[in-house]
Amino acid sequence: MDLLENYKKAWNNQPDAEDQLSSVDIYKLAQSRSSSIVKWIFIVGILEFVILNSLYFFVDMDEDYAEYEKLGLENFVFYSQIAAYGILFYFLTMFYLNYKRISTTDSTRTLMKKIIKTRKTVRNYVLFNLSYMALVMIVVTVASINTNIDDLSNKQIILIIIVTLIITLLILVVLWLFYQLLYGFLLKKLKKNYKELAKLNELH
Amino acid sequence: MHKDLENKFLSDFESNQNIVHKICRIYTTDRDGHNDLFQEITIQVWKNYPKFRGDSKFSTWMYRVALNTAISLYRKSTRKVKTQDFSDVAFKIKVTDYDDTEEVQLKALYKAIHQLHDIDKALIFLYLEDKPYKEISETLGISNVNARVKMNRAKEKLKNVLNP
Repeated sequence: MDLLENYKKAWNNQPDAEDQLSSVDIYKLAQSRSSSIVKWIFIVGILEFVILNSLYFFVDMDEDYAEYEKLGLENFVFYSQIAAYGILFYFLTMFYLNYKRISTTDSTRTLMKKIIKTRKTVRNYVLFNLSYMALVMIVVTVASINTNIDDLSNKQIILIIIVTLIITLLILVVLWLFYQLLYGFLLKKLKKNYKELAKLNELH
Repeated sequence: MHKDLENKFLSDFESNQNIVHKICRIYTTDRDGHNDLFQEITIQVWKNYPKFRGDSKFSTWMYRVALNTAISLYRKSTRKVKTQDFSDVAFKIKVTDYDDTEEVQLKALYKAIHQLHDIDKALIFLYLEDKPYKEISETLGISNVNARVKMNRAKEKLKNVLNP
């Protein structure tokens, strides 16, 4: 008998795979691209971090630092930046862990929980970025009013506060739109996936 | 996809999933790779299912989609798969020396197939699955004559690896 015919017998008698998938598993596998969406959240987070931080190399920050020093804010800027980097690293780590932990072979319920967790992480991340921005704007305004308080009339102070508030709000809206664009699309997909899984869970 | 069609896909796929498992075993060597390829094939079969018109058997059609997915996914990494380490070689010699149980034979067979080129893997797989040449040529999109020529070469290569 041909050598290969011999092996063919062994091939035909090979046992079925241990982990036989149910139709629910197959549905999940075909539908759920959650793990790849979460992967993209991680990648986008890293890219954002790297690109925004590399901007500092091209923008001359010396003037800004001189300005901060005049306002007596150099300590605030220094420590708040350290804190901000720490928190950003925390979020990037969370993004990474979310991506590592999500697996399409999870049960529907675990997968749903993980999707919710990922959405929460992204939401907190955006919230943190927006509030950090707002905090810096407010502190700088207060400090500049304090430094120049002798030269300013009450009217001018109120005007500065109003203008700062409007500018801060505008910047926040722009930033928010930026994040909507960056992450909103991915979050929407995750949500859709979540709904499908929920429907599936009810069925079975 | 329509609900009825979805259910049909699920039952078709469920009853034929062993084909996909076998293809994953041929094209990957670890669990992660196996699961990744399995998912990719599931997604591809799902996406293409509305185009499956039922003029052939579902399994025949699935062989084509699954093998195409595996080949296009692993085309780039053939070189990596081809390399073999010493333990591989030792193992191979030991089992081909005497005819042992089918389990050992099967292991040796998989090890040998892992060293083949991506297209040869597909050919050998279809041969082992006892597919007629007509179906093999359709699945791989080559002529009947071409399929026979390529199959003979693939078999020769496999025999050389199994019994050097």
